[in-house]
Amino acid sequence: MSRESNPVVGIATLIKPIKSITPHISLDNVADLFSDIAYADVLSLPVVENGIPVGVISRYSFIDVYLKKYSRELNGKRPIHLFMGKSPLLVAHDQQLADAAQHVARNMKFPLTEDFIITENGRYAGIGFVVDLLKAMELQMRENTDELNQAYSRLKSSQMALVQSEKMASLGQMVAGIAHEINTPLGYVQNNVAVGQEMFTQVEAMIDVYEKLIDSLLDEYVSEEQIAAQMQQVAEFRANNSTREMIGSMQGLIDDTLYGVGQISELVLNLKNFSRLDAVATETVDLHECIESALNIGRNVLKHRVEVIRDFGALPAVTCSPSQLNQVFLNLFTNAAQAIDVNGRLTIRTWHENGEVQISVADTGKGISPEHLSRIFDPFFTTKPVGEGTGLGLAITHQIIQQHGGEITVESATGAGTRFHIRLPAPSSVLTTGGAAIGASHHQHEEVL
Amino acid sequence: MTKPTILLVDDEERILRSLRMLFFTGYNVRMTTDAHEAIRILRDEQVHVIVSDQRMPVMQGSELLRIARETSPATMRILLTGYSDLEASIASVNEGEVFRYLLKPWAVSEVKEVVAQAAAIATASFAAQQSSSNAIAETRMQKFLVLVMDNEQATAIAVEEILQHRAEVIWAQDERHAQEVLARQDVSLVVADITMGGNNVSYILKTVKQFNPQTQTIVLTSFNDTSRLIELINQAQIIRYLPKPVSNNILARNLEFVIERLHTLRNSPELQNRQSVQAIQDPQEKQLSGSFMGMLNRLRARPAATQS
Repeated sequence: MSRESNPVVGIATLIKPIKSITPHISLDNVADLFSDIAYADVLSLPVVENGIPVGVISRYSFIDVYLKKYSRELNGKRPIHLFMGKSPLLVAHDQQLADAAQHVARNMKFPLTEDFIITENGRYAGIGFVVDLLKAMELQMRENTDELNQAYSRLKSSQMALVQSEKMASLGQMVAGIAHEINTPLGYVQNNVAVGQEMFTQVEAMIDVYEKLIDSLLDEYVSEEQIAAQMQQVAEFRANNSTREMIGSMQGLIDDTLYGVGQISELVLNLKNFSRLDAVATETVDLHECIESALNIGRNVLKHRVEVIRDFGALPAVTCSPSQLNQVFLNLFTNAAQAIDVNGRLTIRTWHENGEVQISVADTGKGISPEHLSRIFDPFFTTKPVGEGTGLGLAITHQIIQQHGGEITVESATGAGTRFHIRLPAPSSVLTTGGAAIGASHHQHEEVL
Repeated sequence: MTKPTILLVDDEERILRSLRMLFFTGYNVRMTTDAHEAIRILRDEQVHVIVSDQRMPVMQGSELLRIARETSPATMRILLTGYSDLEASIASVNEGEVFRYLLKPWAVSEVKEVVAQAAAIATASFAAQQSSSNAIAETRMQKFLVLVMDNEQATAIAVEEILQHRAEVIWAQDERHAQEVLARQDVSLVVADITMGGNNVSYILKTVKQFNPQTQTIVLTSFNDTSRLIELINQAQIIRYLPKPVSNNILARNLEFVIERLHTLRNSPELQNRQSVQAIQDPQEKQLSGSFMGMLNRLRARPAATQS
């Protein structure tokens, strides 16, 4: 995976190619070597026979032996293998740093006074300093941390992309719904205009015939036959009820047309309002407007099936990101609509309490089972079939409310319905509400959207 | 001569008022916002054409048209909707067996034309109902030729197993093979996937229906696209649309239904007109269809001559 991009720092880089000693050299010789400048940095001398490490003698243990009384006289000529540590700490050159460090820490008796031996295919390659190992370890850890940080920020941006795509998905659905919604008024508006055009042509022809008749009547040179023919034409027009009926209906059709155009502009305005505020981060708004906006956008899914009951109290203006809260409300409303199988009620209640704006959204849908309820705000948790839900809707809702310093909770009873409760901090300054007196709540009952 | 009756159903009154203006001169116009009232009118009066909305509060349009099919089979059914969702369009084929699936906003001339055509067909159907209500059902013993157009043989095998001795089943695994079979033999039923080898082969179904309206088509596909389906309704008058994977049970039920329909059509050929198709719109399909039609005309226009 991405670890490949960071080359693993191996033990090989730590090798100090110190010349090893044989097991047969004398204690006196070892004493000379320890004081030799070439071995100044070395804590331990590797003892190697035929290329294979067989022991180690550290300065510390050497001094222990050599400085004993009469030891120089008694042991000076004796070979080192009698005094060396017989199980030297071996580390293979291709071992991973972390593994090697663990191995060293576990097996070295006095880590700060000894070195370890590095082998290549079992043969002596050099010695390694514990301090170097520590340094390399630290370096690697720092790199790991960087990597973790990078992974974290990647994760974060992909999460933001997901949030955005969930928003686009739900908006896309809504836009499609609204586009369809527009088709109905557009249908009759367009048709009425076409009918009007047709009528206009007929009326023009009619006026033409009348005018010609009047011209003929005023013109003394026009023959009786010609006038009779024109009279006949006028009579035909008068007998034709369709033009008359068209004219009679036109007033109504124009009213319908204006109504339809009004509907279309309202729908378009809703769309605009809904997404307008993407640019502006926060604004002071009346939450009832956000709720209405979301209800309008979600009309498509609520229509005919869900009775919406608004029980709005007096609310102070809230500083928030309206487009995000629109998304929250739309999500809750469409979930409610989906939870309701045939017909049901969606009750939206708002009130102001303890310096907080309180909103409850309750449906009479099929409810959520307790084991699902506890996971409902988890990202990617969904009970909808594959392809129908991203499983992000409520997770994002939760996140948005949290970012607003608020809280969202849920309670549900299977078969009875679900209720979401949102609390948002709001300084109790000016109370703005949909027309109600301060403190009083007004009930608005709407039959069907 | 009495005017044909057209029944308009939409939950938006303004749509009804508006549409009425197109038809009041040539038709006896009945209209209602209530699907139940519509059913009552269908039962009590002779309705030539019903034009219904899809999304309505008490009943979906496809459901209303399904009931219309039973209540008044001679009535021509048209759906006029602003919502082109897949589910609704599938239901309008399989349940409503609609003559046309029209979208809001509509083109005035198109709607007028479609309704006029439907009214003429319905008038013929009503007349046939009266004259030949006791036609003798014959030709039961005749074998039907069934063409299965699918990249995979599984569908052909399934169809063969269901129909057994009642039909001869030919499997065409590519476009060219399908065209050849259709050009050389008198196929009664086509069971087709609309994508073969990655190509959209809808044009074959559309062309065949133009050439021989008696041919029935079942589309069996995993390719779900509403606008393409709407085209298949209007331009190929497919009789069933079954999303893949389809269970053997459902396939069997639909095949039985269509075989039954083929018998009916043999006995009363005037019913063929009920599945008249609209011209192909897409320029590329038009071209493909044109050359395939040429092939059909060359090889099939000489009836029975191919035998010798």
